[in-house]
Amino acid sequence: MRYLPAWELQKRIAARVMANVKEGKEARHTLLLLEHYPVFTTGIRKSDYTPEVEAQLKSTGADFHRTNRGGLITFHGPGQLIAYPILHLSSFSPGIKWYVCALERTVIRTLRGLGIHAHTSPHTGVWVGENKICALGLQGRHVTTHGLGLNCNTDLQWFTHIVPCGIPDKGVTSVTQELRRETTISQVEPHFLKAFAEVFKCQLVFS
Amino acid sequence: MARVLLSTLATFTHKVSPIQLIRTSTAITHAPRYLSTTRGVLSERKYTEKHEWVAVDGKIGTIGITNYAQEALGDIVYIQLPEVGTEFEQMEECGVLESVKAASDLFTPVSGKVTEINSAIEDRPELLNISCYDEGWLFKLELTVPSELDGLMDEAGYENFLQENKE
Repeated sequence: MRYLPAWELQKRIAARVMANVKEGKEARHTLLLLEHYPVFTTGIRKSDYTPEVEAQLKSTGADFHRTNRGGLITFHGPGQLIAYPILHLSSFSPGIKWYVCALERTVIRTLRGLGIHAHTSPHTGVWVGENKICALGLQGRHVTTHGLGLNCNTDLQWFTHIVPCGIPDKGVTSVTQELRRETTISQVEPHFLKAFAEVFKCQLVFS
Repeated sequence: MARVLLSTLATFTHKVSPIQLIRTSTAITHAPRYLSTTRGVLSERKYTEKHEWVAVDGKIGTIGITNYAQEALGDIVYIQLPEVGTEFEQMEECGVLESVKAASDLFTPVSGKVTEINSAIEDRPELLNISCYDEGWLFKLELTVPSELDGLMDEAGYENFLQENKE
């Protein structure tokens, strides 16, 4: 799915969740799982990325969008599992700090189920050794949007055009690279859904 | 490289199906309450349910976020303050706070015109975590609808609000 329509969808769902909460109705928190066409995105600290940088990245054939999430520049594309949880945070735990940790824990559990030992670091995101396997970038104090991107069989060459999340001297990796065998989003998804339900203590209802 | 990717895109048929979440157990408890130690020294602070405070001196209100908010956000890494001269209505989005990879909107507790912003905090966002009621003030504005203050919570009211929402 292209980035902008996905973002529009998130905003619509977030508005609905917010309205539900205000009216005292069931919040209907939602988890969106999808895959993007190649796109580079930046967070609110957009001045680090000039029009020249934008043009250079667009010349690779990817889209480029400046967003309202936290975090710096990253890449999304085929082979990367994207999860956008649109939650009314207070229904779970009111802190963004807690939410970031909960998402990181979810990914670590997911990877454990696949036989990969991953960890967190002061840099946020989920790491395997010195390489980042999953990036996080969020928005919203009350209802959350944006989320995470977990590299399954992403073409990691795309990341060579940027300093991912503004962290130099560190690399990127994927489930495929770590397991040394092709692993697709469909194979990772069930582990992710199970981990998410466990960490966020919720039931998943599929529509 | 482009040609390889095009063939990948042609086989991409992943559909977006939103998944609903139903909570099965209650939320985790969080940080202890914080009691203000500057009560009675400055003009009294008023609070909103979005965990912002405003301290009024004459027609000028100084605005910040509460200790509860800064703890919940985590380490602040970037602050986007409103521009001096901009006018806002009560509860309008007027800035952004970025912490630990998450960007959160800042809302103004009262309507007014921005007169001053705390530039020190733009260079040192950690001040917001260290001293959210003093050095970590965010911006000042000239109130256009002072009666809005009557609708906000005082210190005791805000403490009650935090207690009630713990459950």
